Amino acid sequence: MVAGIAPIDAYPIVGPPIDPRASRKGTRGEEPAMDAALRLTCLARIIALSVVAFLPVGQAAAQKQGGSITVGLELDIAGFDPLKVGVFDTSGNMAASLIFDTLTHLDENGEAQPKLALSWTHSEDYKDWTFRLRPDAKFHDGTPFNAQAVKFNIDRQKDPKNKCRCAFYIANIKEVEARDDLTVVFHLTDPSVTLPKLLTIPSSNFVMQSPTAMLAKGDDYNRNPVGTGPFVIKSWTAGDRLVLERNAGYWDRTRPYLDRVVMRPLPDSQARFASLEAGESDLIWDDEYDSDNILKAKNDRALKVHEYVGSGATVYAFNTKLEPFDDVRVRQALVMAIDRKKMSQALTNGLSRPATNPYGEGSWVKCTDDGALPHDLGKAQALLKEYGKPVKFKTLVTATPRGRANGQVLQQFWKDAGAEMEIEQVDQTAIVTRAFARKFDLTPWRIVDLADPDPQMYANFHTGSPSALANYSNLDLDKLLEHARATADPRERTEDYCAVSRLLNKEAIWFWTFQNTYYAIAKAKLKGLPKLYSGVIDVSPTWLE
Amino acid sequence: MLGLAARRAVYLVPVLLAVTFLTFLIASLLPGDLAFAILGDQATPETVAALRHDMGLDQPALWRYLRWLAGVLQGDLGRSYRTGESVLDAVLGRLPVSLELMVAAEITAFVVAIPIAILCAARAGTGFDRLATGIAFAKLSIPSFMVAILLIYLFAVQLRLFPATGYVPFGEDPLGNLRSLVLPALTLAIGEWPVLMRVLRSDMIATLQEDFIALAKAKGLRPRRILLVHALKPSSLTLVTVAGINIGRLIGGTVIVESIFALPGIGRLLIGAIYTRDFMILQGVVLFVAAGFVMVNFLVDTLYALLDPRIRHGH
Repeated sequence: MVAGIAPIDAYPIVGPPIDPRASRKGTRGEEPAMDAALRLTCLARIIALSVVAFLPVGQAAAQKQGGSITVGLELDIAGFDPLKVGVFDTSGNMAASLIFDTLTHLDENGEAQPKLALSWTHSEDYKDWTFRLRPDAKFHDGTPFNAQAVKFNIDRQKDPKNKCRCAFYIANIKEVEARDDLTVVFHLTDPSVTLPKLLTIPSSNFVMQSPTAMLAKGDDYNRNPVGTGPFVIKSWTAGDRLVLERNAGYWDRTRPYLDRVVMRPLPDSQARFASLEAGESDLIWDDEYDSDNILKAKNDRALKVHEYVGSGATVYAFNTKLEPFDDVRVRQALVMAIDRKKMSQALTNGLSRPATNPYGEGSWVKCTDDGALPHDLGKAQALLKEYGKPVKFKTLVTATPRGRANGQVLQQFWKDAGAEMEIEQVDQTAIVTRAFARKFDLTPWRIVDLADPDPQMYANFHTGSPSALANYSNLDLDKLLEHARATADPRERTEDYCAVSRLLNKEAIWFWTFQNTYYAIAKAKLKGLPKLYSGVIDVSPTWLE
Repeated sequence: MLGLAARRAVYLVPVLLAVTFLTFLIASLLPGDLAFAILGDQATPETVAALRHDMGLDQPALWRYLRWLAGVLQGDLGRSYRTGESVLDAVLGRLPVSLELMVAAEITAFVVAIPIAILCAARAGTGFDRLATGIAFAKLSIPSFMVAILLIYLFAVQLRLFPATGYVPFGEDPLGNLRSLVLPALTLAIGEWPVLMRVLRSDMIATLQEDFIALAKAKGLRPRRILLVHALKPSSLTLVTVAGINIGRLIGGTVIVESIFALPGIGRLLIGAIYTRDFMILQGVVLFVAAGFVMVNFLVDTLYALLDPRIRHGH
């Protein structure tokens, strides 16, 4: 039903998730520290929550007002209208976190906290979520933010006439009801305990955009977006820079601290890092394939490397309907032939963290036994010998230096095991097309960092899902996935997901190479950068020291 | 002279038609369906078919081309599939950056190449000549992206003389504009000057053997005058030809240089359009680039006639 997306891009997604940590029925999802606040009167609670929500953990009131920063992005920003761009890429998400607000935001402990929504409750079956909205938020064009605006945003994406690619990611939202001006109810098709967490991502689905502006501007809205966020667009030269200025009327009177943020697409990683060194940028997006610069920055006192180990992983899917991958021995042999540590060393100077399951260190799912197949070349050779036929196949890789490098390393491992792999270079669009049409032997993919594993695990492995790429069906696996999504107890869910991992590793229908790690390199004087959830660098709460 | 210009202008039409049609074909043959790219995970055979129908992608390529062409003739280049931006606006917004870059690069290349070529020709076979041609040869074998990174490291990171990335519009800050173009233009020029220099040098050496040069020398003209006035003009025909043809290479170079230096020119627009299968933008950029290339070569042909009266008179 929902999916992580092919190899490099990380598309934020949502589905019917369940939160293991929200055990209280019918209460809001705030952290325990707020319990005292909950006993206050309604008005006092609203004030308390709105203040507490924006005090980042461990930060004293040392924030300085003023100043301007320049952020180096990897990609050009295509625009912000979900109907045009479908989903935001990493650059789009980063800019969206400044221009727009979401209903909720994730704190440093990974818990959902109030943003445009002040509080929330849910029905017993977790299928109806009621959000109480902030009364003092306004869109930059003066349009009041209210329940009708939330409904308009979601309805517009879901309207079949609009054919928005974004609709796929909110398929679980059956209907949004504006109960009154400040109360909005999300009616879901499946239970979701983690809905407030999933609404935190500044993706095309969940940022709130001005209904008035969307209706009035038509085709031009995409590049003239209007949100409620802490920054307002001052100017935008396509391909060059997006200049954002402090929103003086922001509902959080203390923020933002910065006066101006300039976002510049700097596609070349060397030039991007040079712009930081030369003092033209204050923060740049980066990833582990630029390991030389990350390692260099770690040794530079003027710079700080912000590193976030998220959940999810870089993965590969076997097409189990095709020879030779219809035989589990071949799949197991190929997985066992991979030496992830060596692979990490060869590709990223050892920065990439090997992954043995689909969850990763950043996930709340911790397995004592994830059933990972060991690296064992001898066993791999023996399994292929037992299979008896020559093992020949093609692997799709992106037609980029990193895609080729990944392919070549795997090719070498598998050659040592006795399998012949041919690298097939295609561009990323073609990988998506081929993967969904099941026209591949082995394809790269990605499980993105998300607050809960349910949306992606269900989508990637449940029988009949469009992104169950391995063409594999297993009733036990289906039952585990179904149980995990309908259970609130975190221990039970952990057991389910670890059993899923053991089953997947044993059947070797997908394999995982590296965990998702996200990087931002910034000047040391830039303070207050929150965790890079889902790879999004949100500079809205930062300040210059 | 006007007749010649008119004859050449007529050639423009079939060339542009052929180029745009071929681009259309190539774009249609690229793997990865646009409808799939837009729909992504939501793509089912039904939704893909519906979107293809909406966008007219289920029509034959020739029919789609003719429809696009009809639009172009009415000044409508369509809208980007991805951003909804008008193609004409997107291209015109980016074109000045690329033009400025190319002009700056070409001027720099000429300024470097011509004096060195003249000196080399005048002192053919000497140490200076060998050194200069040696450097030119070495330069030809260094790829532009490497030159770019080295220049950034030296002039932006170490010396902090010029910005490493970015573009400042002339209207905003003329000096800043020039500063932002120095490194990108130099990168392109470093790839260009050896070609120009080698062509001019060899032509000039040949010219210097001609009888009229011997006559000029016999008349006691100063060597500088002989070189700059009598030898340079007849030696520049090949130089002008090569410079014209090199525009193609230069455009290719801007694609790389604009990406490295993060200049918002048509090279970057083109790359983005290819990656995102935004055929409307792709087609628009190719139309402009092809038209520009043809126009420059048309100007070069015209320039021939100015340089060499025999061409003007049809000999």
